[in-house]
Amino acid sequence: MTRTLTVCPYCGVGCTFYLVSDKGRLVGVEPSTTHPVSRGGLCVKGWNAYAFVHHPDRLTTPLIRRDGQLRPASWDEALNLVVERLQAVQAKHGKDAVMFASSAKATNEENYLLMKLARAVFGTNNIDHCARLCHSSTVTGLAETFGSGAMTNSISCFDQTDVILVIGSNTTEQHPLIGSRILNAVRGGTRLIVADNRRIRLARHAELHLRHKNGSDVALLNGIMHVIIAEGLADREFIAGRTENYDALAESVADWTPERTAAATGLTADEIVAAARLYAGAERAMVVFSMGITQHSHGVDNVRCIAALAMLTGNVGRPGTGVNPLRGQNNVQGGCDMGALPDLYSGYQKVADPRLRDKFAHAWGVSSLPAEPGLPLTRAMDAASEGRLHGMFIMGENPMLSDPDQGHARKVLENLELLIVQDIFLTETAAVADIVLPAACFAEKEGTFTNTERRIQRLYKAVEPPGKARADWEIICDIAERAGYNGMRYTSPAEIMAEAASLTPIYGGIAYQRLAAHGLQWPCPDKEHPGTPIMHLDRFTRGLGHFSPVVHRLPAELPDAEFPFVLTTGRTYFHWHTGSMTRRTHLLAREEPHSFIELHPDDAARLGIRHRDMVLVSSRRGEVRTEARVTDMVIAGVLFMPFHFVEGAANALTNNVLDPESSIPEFKVCAVRVEKMP
Amino acid sequence: MKTITPDRLDQFFSSLEPVWELRLPILLPDGTRVIGSLNDGPLALHGGAVSGKPTAAFFPQQSTLFTVTDGAMQEPPPADRPLFIVGFPPRDLACLRFIDRFFADGWRDDLYFRLRQRATVAGLSGYCGPGGSLISPAGGDCDLEFFWDRSNWLVTAYSETGRKIIAGLPETATPEAAELFLQVPAEFPDKNETLIRHASELLRTNRVPESFWAEIGDRCIACTGCNLACPTCTCFGVQDWRSAKKTERSRMWDSCQLDGFMREAGGHNPLGSEAERTRRRIHHKLAADPQKWGEISCFLCGRCDAVCPTGIGIIAVARELVARFR
Repeated sequence: MTRTLTVCPYCGVGCTFYLVSDKGRLVGVEPSTTHPVSRGGLCVKGWNAYAFVHHPDRLTTPLIRRDGQLRPASWDEALNLVVERLQAVQAKHGKDAVMFASSAKATNEENYLLMKLARAVFGTNNIDHCARLCHSSTVTGLAETFGSGAMTNSISCFDQTDVILVIGSNTTEQHPLIGSRILNAVRGGTRLIVADNRRIRLARHAELHLRHKNGSDVALLNGIMHVIIAEGLADREFIAGRTENYDALAESVADWTPERTAAATGLTADEIVAAARLYAGAERAMVVFSMGITQHSHGVDNVRCIAALAMLTGNVGRPGTGVNPLRGQNNVQGGCDMGALPDLYSGYQKVADPRLRDKFAHAWGVSSLPAEPGLPLTRAMDAASEGRLHGMFIMGENPMLSDPDQGHARKVLENLELLIVQDIFLTETAAVADIVLPAACFAEKEGTFTNTERRIQRLYKAVEPPGKARADWEIICDIAERAGYNGMRYTSPAEIMAEAASLTPIYGGIAYQRLAAHGLQWPCPDKEHPGTPIMHLDRFTRGLGHFSPVVHRLPAELPDAEFPFVLTTGRTYFHWHTGSMTRRTHLLAREEPHSFIELHPDDAARLGIRHRDMVLVSSRRGEVRTEARVTDMVIAGVLFMPFHFVEGAANALTNNVLDPESSIPEFKVCAVRVEKMP
Repeated sequence: MKTITPDRLDQFFSSLEPVWELRLPILLPDGTRVIGSLNDGPLALHGGAVSGKPTAAFFPQQSTLFTVTDGAMQEPPPADRPLFIVGFPPRDLACLRFIDRFFADGWRDDLYFRLRQRATVAGLSGYCGPGGSLISPAGGDCDLEFFWDRSNWLVTAYSETGRKIIAGLPETATPEAAELFLQVPAEFPDKNETLIRHASELLRTNRVPESFWAEIGDRCIACTGCNLACPTCTCFGVQDWRSAKKTERSRMWDSCQLDGFMREAGGHNPLGSEAERTRRRIHHKLAADPQKWGEISCFLCGRCDAVCPTGIGIIAVARELVARFR
């Protein structure tokens, strides 16, 4: 019986636990009792995180498509073919005809390497990952207003705050160990505002539950700011000393009276005034948000409003305050930090800056690096259908299920000249690939993940990968070598981190021997630096905090006579994204075995739909069959559907309309029709 | 009664390794204390009950029942050596005694007894509780017991196997030391004991309204940790993993806090709300088990309270319940 400390592979909270193994097989998990985040607890996914690792569906050998069938191949054959075909596509269509999709499930070291492979070896900035689909709006919005796109405070701050505003985050389900802290804080006297029209668990504990219309967050936040200014609740000293452009903000919210806000949001004027007084009246207030804010065609605007609200009340740079975007994946923060982004190197260093290009080129031993920012992941499908992109290398992502407008995504992926997928299971995307590379999962390799509070933590290898599967970092290095590049020879992930740290100022002080059991929080610029639990203490990363006034825009597609319902999509507590791991975990799969759609009892009665009836849901993009769940979780006129299930895939319905600045799709609002299956 | 000095412990345990597979309280790299192998961390007998249920040694979170390859069924091979497990304070021994009865009742759980029957269990007591506090000796329910008298470990055997294991150790140096062991009251009265009996009484006399369970259920995030950490929770689920050549059937710890635990195939669920599931969790230990087994099946080890992220472990719930409905 052996115990190996590691970091949970699911959400961004970053709980640690021990994997228990016996004769090379995982047999369970045991929580860490000393970890500052999980404090001896775990959520249901964490408790079951061992269970998919030895599943018989694991990929165990490279596969190459021959005569239309994926057939086993040797690593030599597969990797030579990867290089040969990527180079052939580039020779035929240009360097930027290929795209690399990195993974928020992979380690920091692997994200760093894939970004290096794309840029230094294949000469393209076409590198991105699923942060594009979750918090790209946050990164863009907070970079502009604060100078840094990450969670400003630490998870421990939930124990030290007076008021928490949760907007667009189902925290107990999606970040359960943070949601639990919020529940505990409320029992200890912290006051809670939930702004989300689903009756999520936190809403049952909230002093105010604001069930505003989908896509009306800008109106709501502008309305709240209007009241704060009108009632003299703004922190004048903070505004004067720490911020700029306040007058423009004040002017932009001047018209957002409670009455106008009520009309735009579907709330009452009293609710808006109450929320403003509660939040602004607190000595310390935190805002928590997630996909309900970011996944809109105006996601960046939503984030700008949140940043403004926090600055307006002086709720930045102190314990128990801050703007706290909860990152979804275990390492989506790290994927961004490591520069798996089309316009940024690691540490958010711009590829457009010639000085930085020179720095990276010199370190990587190449003569030059591409200067033009690459394609965001969400524009890749359109680029491919327009003939500008011909090959994709996808590491640990499953866009066939996770991208909006599945019909379009399927057509593009199937028609690519070259599709290479590196993953742990034969996902829906891998199933249409030309070459499939079997990867090790979190329990089978070393590396680091960075959690939502910027804590960089080590994972340790507990068991061997199945069959011929190899760690992502080893595969990437092998590809680089075969492509004729000799600058990726590492004996361990620690060496990769040493290189990344030397080029990434916010990770400058990160070294494996310093991470011990509980890691370090960036910014950590040098080897003596203790890490940074709270950012923007005396000054914002950009200097002064910037108020960015925002004009309210409606979602791109609203209900009409033909498609009379708003569909909003998301996840359930028991599954992770496209279900490749959780649908192969017995207890989790049993809990939510199939696709469903939430429907308000009034709507159900009107349409003659009963609980558990099969229904047909259609949008302008497609239609799916699913099971009706009649519940007051949703408000009348709004439907909710999780996107985990290949049968009854929510993303067959969603709208691939993007925020113009962050390129995030509007997963949270599209128009659909629902009818009972005959 | 035998004695062993702290500096000779490692050597004593190492000497047992050729015959036994040792499981001892150890300290893991981040300070977590568990029952494990000395390869994973140094011996850590002090500190009271370890985290993680000690009964996992016989009933692991996941275990293979059998595999079928080309039509031939194979059971997992027996372990090379029997288990020798140290680290059960009296409350954990009570849990073990309870599940021994449970797994033996009716159809006998072969998988459990395959590990349990050959195992030797050592209790742990004396001034080795958290912060040096006293843990009263169990005085039985195990093969042997280690008692820390603040200088040495006094060791008493209760079974033939236990006597053989400690045969080579010197006799206790002073009669006073042995006296100390005997003098410590065998009962361990504590306020949680009174509390849990009181809560049990309130439940059995039906004095707790449903609204209470709705309130507690609202705070449950269905992590299932309470069940998975509980030494007397014995429910398991069964799964088959099928590949082209092989089918593997295994079982894993299950949880009554999951909707799927009682959901019928048609979708109806007699425990279809969080309130009902929470009620069941507490009722089972404090009302149903006393009826079936003659004793409350919560032995106050505190593990569910320690792992619960929202503070609704059984002791916390009992405290709220007694405060409101006594």
